[in-house]
Amino acid sequence: MRLILSFIMLALLAACSQVQPWERGYLAKQEMAWDSDPLERALNDHIFFSKEASSGGNTAAGGGCGCN
Amino acid sequence: MKKPASRSLIALSTSALALPGIAEADAPPLASSLSYKISNYQEDDLSREQVPFGELERYDIDVHQFQFVSPLGRDYALFIDANHENMSGASPWFSTAGSNGQPVINMSGASGIYDSRSEVSLGVRYYGARGKIGGAIGYSEENDYRAKYVSMSGSRNFNNDLTTLTVSLSHSDDSIFPSDAERFNRVRHENKQASSVAVSLSQVLNPVASFQTALSLTGQSGYLSDPYKLQDSRPDEKTQIAFSNSLRYFFIKADGALQSDYRYYRDDFGIRSHTLDLSWFQNVTRSFKIVPMLRYYSQSAADFYTNIDDFMKPLSESQSSDYRLSAFGAISGGLSFVADFGGWSATLTAERYVANEKYSAFTVAQPSPGLVQFTRLSLGVDYAF
Amino acid sequence: MSTNLRHAGFRAMGTYCEIQLYEASRISAAKLVRRLIDEVSRLESKYTRYRDDSFLSEINRSAGKQTGIKIDIETLKLFEHARSCYEQSDGLFDITAGVLRRVWDFSRRQIPDESELEGLLPLIGYEKLNWRDDTLLMPANMEIDFGGIVKEYAADTLATLARELGVRRGLVNLGGDFAAIGTQPENRPWPIGITHPEDSTKMMSHFHLSEGGLASSGDYERSFILEGKRYSHLLNPKTGWPCSGLRAVSVAANLCTVAGSFATIAMLKPEQDAIDWLTDSGLPFVFMDGTGQIGGPGLTDSSY
Repeated sequence: MRLILSFIMLALLAACSQVQPWERGYLAKQEMAWDSDPLERALNDHIFFSKEASSGGNTAAGGGCGCN
Repeated sequence: MKKPASRSLIALSTSALALPGIAEADAPPLASSLSYKISNYQEDDLSREQVPFGELERYDIDVHQFQFVSPLGRDYALFIDANHENMSGASPWFSTAGSNGQPVINMSGASGIYDSRSEVSLGVRYYGARGKIGGAIGYSEENDYRAKYVSMSGSRNFNNDLTTLTVSLSHSDDSIFPSDAERFNRVRHENKQASSVAVSLSQVLNPVASFQTALSLTGQSGYLSDPYKLQDSRPDEKTQIAFSNSLRYFFIKADGALQSDYRYYRDDFGIRSHTLDLSWFQNVTRSFKIVPMLRYYSQSAADFYTNIDDFMKPLSESQSSDYRLSAFGAISGGLSFVADFGGWSATLTAERYVANEKYSAFTVAQPSPGLVQFTRLSLGVDYAF
Repeated sequence: MSTNLRHAGFRAMGTYCEIQLYEASRISAAKLVRRLIDEVSRLESKYTRYRDDSFLSEINRSAGKQTGIKIDIETLKLFEHARSCYEQSDGLFDITAGVLRRVWDFSRRQIPDESELEGLLPLIGYEKLNWRDDTLLMPANMEIDFGGIVKEYAADTLATLARELGVRRGLVNLGGDFAAIGTQPENRPWPIGITHPEDSTKMMSHFHLSEGGLASSGDYERSFILEGKRYSHLLNPKTGWPCSGLRAVSVAANLCTVAGSFATIAMLKPEQDAIDWLTDSGLPFVFMDGTGQIGGPGLTDSSY
């Protein structure tokens, strides 16, 4: 239910926001990327995968390791 | 009073900004880049109260990561990743009741474990007019573990590129062949498979904010137990679901960006968890950034978790004293310095991670004596050419 | 860190080009410039109409073919920008107008036959291009010319590439089409002189560019005067006759490509229309009108 709600919320937001292409300078900055430092993200995913029970996130996971 | 942009300026800017040599996001790289990162993390020693006999030292791990990204023609990009990791130390073997009835740990590897892991992956991505699609294959090897995996990901932009829908799939085929299997009566050779699918939707909210929501589903089957533990028997099927929400917000006056990621997770081992990740990217000068990070994590225990191994229990019944299946909370904080020298940049990161049952957001029926604390240092360099 | 301004001049796209960079070392600057020249050469060899092996020539050879020709994304986006120019100029900026060169020869200073012109007009019109997804079906004898788009796009592409390669301050100049990468040190803008249409040794005006691009269009050399009437090399695709609007115009915008489109369209419009249209855009510009008068809101030390 929460999921459906958040998708509906997004759809509503999409309908009302119109950010023009030339207004997207800040959004294009590296620190605004979903994955702004791929190596750091990969390292964190790997470390926390070996220390905690949870995994999975925004993308489908890669391969496993003997660490978990 | 700023007058609204003319119709012609809007139309011409829009079509010009879509040109691949100009588009800032979602375009294939124009230049190649090479990145390397070396990290060391060391788990804190356990105390004599936790481990009455033997080694107190836990893992000390070095990780080397390489990444090469290169444009392939105009519409493709090539990604090559290689990682190498060396670890030494010891890990909890089994858990018994101490003299006061509290659980105590018995460590494996009196002489210490030495292991290394190497991984390579190769990916190609195609950048189309309204999205991108890519695939990757990877291979990871340890002396007792091998994983082969493939993944695919496709995304499509809608609504003047303000909305992006991404679907990704991956499959991993792993083999486990524990060392000294005969001597310790461990399993000889086992397999496990994992498949996952993730769907994410991201939306530009305004010129300084965007939001992403994602759902991922993973199914694992095969040998999911830990072959090195004396008594560890887990179900051979596991379904995991993760629901993530991410926000990126740029504060113009402060010249900094907030990255906030929250994930809710649950699986059919009975584990639920919350993860909150906050990072603040502060631009100090044009070429220098400071990035403080804070992370909170908490999970509930697996249904079959026990902090004192019951050796009388039949192996057909699930049981594990793995601290990673206990209920606990963990707080970590870190600080990164990023210096950009033009063609190349360097990142220095320090992080401290402390897990404790007191930080748990879930009920802790059986606290684990083996929770981990570690300190990490990383140095990364990126070079574009 | 000491940074020095490095210059490199070269010929590309049939004109003089120059790259200025603030770089710490001469070696890395030389490497960078080589990389940028490679990129401009790539675009030139892809879109030049002077070489048979260019992709543009291949597109033009496909005119009349039933199977059409598959267009890659970069070129597709250039077509989309060209369509945007066509719409915003009410059909005056038309990349299919190049066929008029078959009868107009500005070096021979001759006026073509009206009947010859009439015969060409049916071959002009962006809307006559047919698309089936990303396959272009071009009617026989039609011709595409990305003049007024590709050089400006190349300037922006070089600026983007230089940024990716770590350049934080620099200026790309492709024969008068400029793209800035940041400002000069201490936030000083780049001073850019604009050549006088009648005397290339004189300056008509100058601009201060802090970011984005600057492009100029004008009757610089390729026009002639016959029996007291000036014939501009800029031709109206609807009549086939030269436009008699502004003599020259320079426009600054967020991108060189945008500035270039504004400058080209302004040259094709009637004089007053052009000035009104540019004023409405809010962009800084400088122009010289048919009587040789210089004006525009970009005149007095304007910055972008």
